[in-house]
Amino acid sequence: MTAFVDGPLWNFALLVFLLGIVWRLFSIVKAGSKPDYSVARRSAGSGAVMTLFRRFLPRRDMAPKIRIHTVAGYMFHLGLFALLLFAAPHVLFLEQHLLGVGWTPMPYWAFIVASQLAFAGLLLLWLRRLLNPVTRLISDADDHIAAILVFVVMLTGCLALMEEFTGLRVLHRFTVELLMIYFPFSRLMHAFTFIPSRAFTGAWFGRRGVDA
Amino acid sequence: MARMKFLCDAERCIECNACVTACKNENNIPWGVNRRRVVTINDGSPGERSMSVACMHCSDAPCAAVCPVDCFYTTDDGVVLHDKDICIGCGYCFYACPFGAPQFPSDGAFGSRGKMDKCTFCAGGPEEDNSPAEYQKYGSNRLSQGKLPLCAEMCSTHALLAGDGDTVSNIFRERVTWRGSSGISWGWGVAYGKPGQRSARGVDNKATGGD
Amino acid sequence: MRMSIKPASVERRLCAGVFLAFLLGLLGLAPLPGGVAMAADKVQTELAGKPNNPGAELWRDVRQRDTQIKGVTQVEGMDAGVLININGERWRRFRMEQLIPAVGVALGGVLGLILLFHLVKRGVPIAAGLSGKYLHRFKEIDRLLHWTVALVFIFLALTGLILLTGRVILIPLLGPELFATLASASKEGHNLFGPLFLVGVIGLFIRFVSKNFLRKGDIGWLFKGGGFFAGKHPSAGFFNMGEKIWFWLVILVGLVVSATGLILEFPFFGQDRSLMELALVLHGVGAALLIAGSFGHIYVGTAGMPGSLSSMTTGYVDLNWARQHHNLWAEECESRDEVLSKSEFERSRGETPLGDRPEPLTRGDG
Repeated sequence: MTAFVDGPLWNFALLVFLLGIVWRLFSIVKAGSKPDYSVARRSAGSGAVMTLFRRFLPRRDMAPKIRIHTVAGYMFHLGLFALLLFAAPHVLFLEQHLLGVGWTPMPYWAFIVASQLAFAGLLLLWLRRLLNPVTRLISDADDHIAAILVFVVMLTGCLALMEEFTGLRVLHRFTVELLMIYFPFSRLMHAFTFIPSRAFTGAWFGRRGVDA
Repeated sequence: MARMKFLCDAERCIECNACVTACKNENNIPWGVNRRRVVTINDGSPGERSMSVACMHCSDAPCAAVCPVDCFYTTDDGVVLHDKDICIGCGYCFYACPFGAPQFPSDGAFGSRGKMDKCTFCAGGPEEDNSPAEYQKYGSNRLSQGKLPLCAEMCSTHALLAGDGDTVSNIFRERVTWRGSSGISWGWGVAYGKPGQRSARGVDNKATGGD
Repeated sequence: MRMSIKPASVERRLCAGVFLAFLLGLLGLAPLPGGVAMAADKVQTELAGKPNNPGAELWRDVRQRDTQIKGVTQVEGMDAGVLININGERWRRFRMEQLIPAVGVALGGVLGLILLFHLVKRGVPIAAGLSGKYLHRFKEIDRLLHWTVALVFIFLALTGLILLTGRVILIPLLGPELFATLASASKEGHNLFGPLFLVGVIGLFIRFVSKNFLRKGDIGWLFKGGGFFAGKHPSAGFFNMGEKIWFWLVILVGLVVSATGLILEFPFFGQDRSLMELALVLHGVGAALLIAGSFGHIYVGTAGMPGSLSSMTTGYVDLNWARQHHNLWAEECESRDEVLSKSEFERSRGETPLGDRPEPLTRGDG
C-alpha cells in the first residue's frame, strides 16, 4: 500500500493535476470572447488589472452582510497557503520530490497559528454554506465534496504531525492524491480560474470606462 | 532468574559523571536526551552527597502502568524496556516516574515531543538482539552479550553497581557493615576503608572477593 | 669539629633550599594537632542538634516528603535536579485506579439514565401540536458558532476518550500497533483542535452571556423539574434554567479545560511535573463533566424535546413549542408582532414549490 501511494498513484495524480489544470485553463483561453465594436473609452488592460485586485475585498454596499464570509474566507485561504508552502515537512517534500530547491520553513508557533486559522476558516465557511438558506440551496455535491475533501486532507496532515507512524503519513498522502485527481474537474479550479475570470470582466467593462 | 538493579553508593560517588559520558557514548544518544544524570545534594556543605540516577527498572513500574498505549514490558531479567514503534510521545511516563528517567528529544519538524528514550540497562529493545535497527533505536545491547551496563563498568570509584539485585545489595551491605555507623565522618577512610577495617568487622569481602 | 657535611656547591644549596621550602610548605598546609581539634569542634557545632547520622537527613531530603529539594546536576532539563518526584505516583494511581473507572461509570451511567428516561417518557412533545407559525430564535452567527464548537467538541471528546480509556477498551480490540497509530493521531488531533475550542467558547460567551443571567423564576423552574416530569410546565424566558446551567458549565468548566489544555500542550514555559500533573487531573475531570453534560444537551435538543433542533438548524421554532417551553419569550415576540406564517417561513428558506404564485407578504395571517 505504501509503495503504491508513494509511487504509481503519486505519479498518476501529479499527471492528472498538472494536465487537468493546463487543459481547463487552455479551454478557457481558447473560448475567447466576442469582438467588441464599441469605441474604447479606457484601456481594457488597466481595467483587467484593477478589477483583479479590487475584487479581493467585497463591494462596500455588500460588505456588512458578508463580513463573516470574508473574514473566514481569508482565514482559511491564508492559513492554507502558509501551511502548504511553509510548513517544514512540506518544504522538505517539495525540495526532495518536486522542485529540488527548498526555502526556510516557518517556526513552530507560526504553524500553530496558521493551522488554527485554516481549520477555523474552513469549518466556518462550510457550516455557513449549510446554515444560510441561500447558500444551502445553491450548493451542489461538488461544493460539499470539495470542502470535505480539503478538510480531510488538512486533518490527516495534522494527525500525522509526530511524523513517526507510516500509516498516518500514507493516509495523508493518499488523501492528497485524491484531492489532486479531483481538483481539475471541480470548483476548486477557482484557485486558478479566478485570474482569467476577474481579468476578463475587468477588461470588458474597463474598455467601456466602467469600474467593475 | 536474575533481577537486574542499579545501586549507587553515595559515599563513593565523586560526581565525576563518567557514567553519564559512558552511557551517552555507548548508546549514541542525541542532544538533549540524558538517560543518566548525577545529582548532588547539599552541594558545598558538610554532608554533600552525589548520586547517579537513571531508570531504576522498578519491579512494579509506574511508567508501564500509566502508558496510554501500553508500550512497556519487563524482560525475564527484570529490565523495564519499551517499544519505540508504539510510543506516541505523550509524556505521561515522565510525569509518573519518581526518578525522571524517561527523556524526550525535541524531535519532529515542529519541536513537539518525539519518542520517549530512557536507560535500557544496556539491554536494547524489542528489535532483534544486536541488530543495526536495535542499535539505532535503543543503543547497545550488552546484556545479551553477557556484559553489564557500561555506566557501572566505567564508574571510577565503584559507586555505581549494576547487576542482579541480590549480588548488588550484598556488596553494599558489606560496605555498610565495615563502615559502621558513619557518624560525622566522611572521606576516603569511610568510603574505601582503612587497612584491617574489613577483617576487624569480620567481613573480609566475602560478597565480592575484593572491592 | 669534624664537618660531616661536605661544603655544598651552588646547586646543592639550591636543592636543599627547595626541599626545605617544600617541608615548610607541607607543615603550613597540614592542620596542626590543635587545628584538627578546632575543625572537629566547628563541625560538631554545625551538626549539633542534628541526628548522629547525617545520612538520615540526607535521605530524608532525597525522599522529599515535605518539599521538593533540588540538587545540583550537570544535566539541563526540567526537574533534572530532583532525585525523587513525590507527586508522580499519587497522580498515576489517581489516573489509573480512580479517574478511568470513574469516567467509564459516569458516562455510562448518564447514557443509561437518558435511555431509561426516553424509554419511559418518550421525550416531551409539543402539547398543543405544531401551529404552523414560526418565531425567529437564533441568528446565523449564533448557529454558526454553536455548530463549530459542537463539532470541535465532539472531535476533542472522542480523541480525549481514546487517550484516556483506549488502553483498557481498544487495545484488546485493535491490537497494540493499530491502536498506537490511532492514539498518535488522536493526540495530534486533540492538540490541534484544543485552541479552537477555547476561541469558540469565548465566542459563545460573548454572544449568549446577556441572555444567561439569573432572572426571577429561574430557581422556581429548577425546583419544578423544568416541565420534564409531571405537572404544569413552569414559565421561562429566552433561556430556561436548564439552559443557563449548561451555558455556565460550558463557559466555566470549558475555560478550565482549555486553560489546562494549553498548559499541557505547550510545555516550553518552565512548567514542572507537579503543575502538569495537576493540569492533567483538572483537564480530565472537567472534560468528563462536559461530556456527560453534552449527552444530556444533545438528548434534550433532539429526541428529548421535539421541535428544539430546528432552532439551531433553520433558526426558527414553532410558536406552540415556544409558548410551551419559553412562554415569556413567546409572549414578547407576539407582542412585537414577530410571528412568521408558514408561507413566509418557507419563502425565507427557499422552499416555496415552483410554479406557485407567492402569497402577499402580510404579517399574522395563517
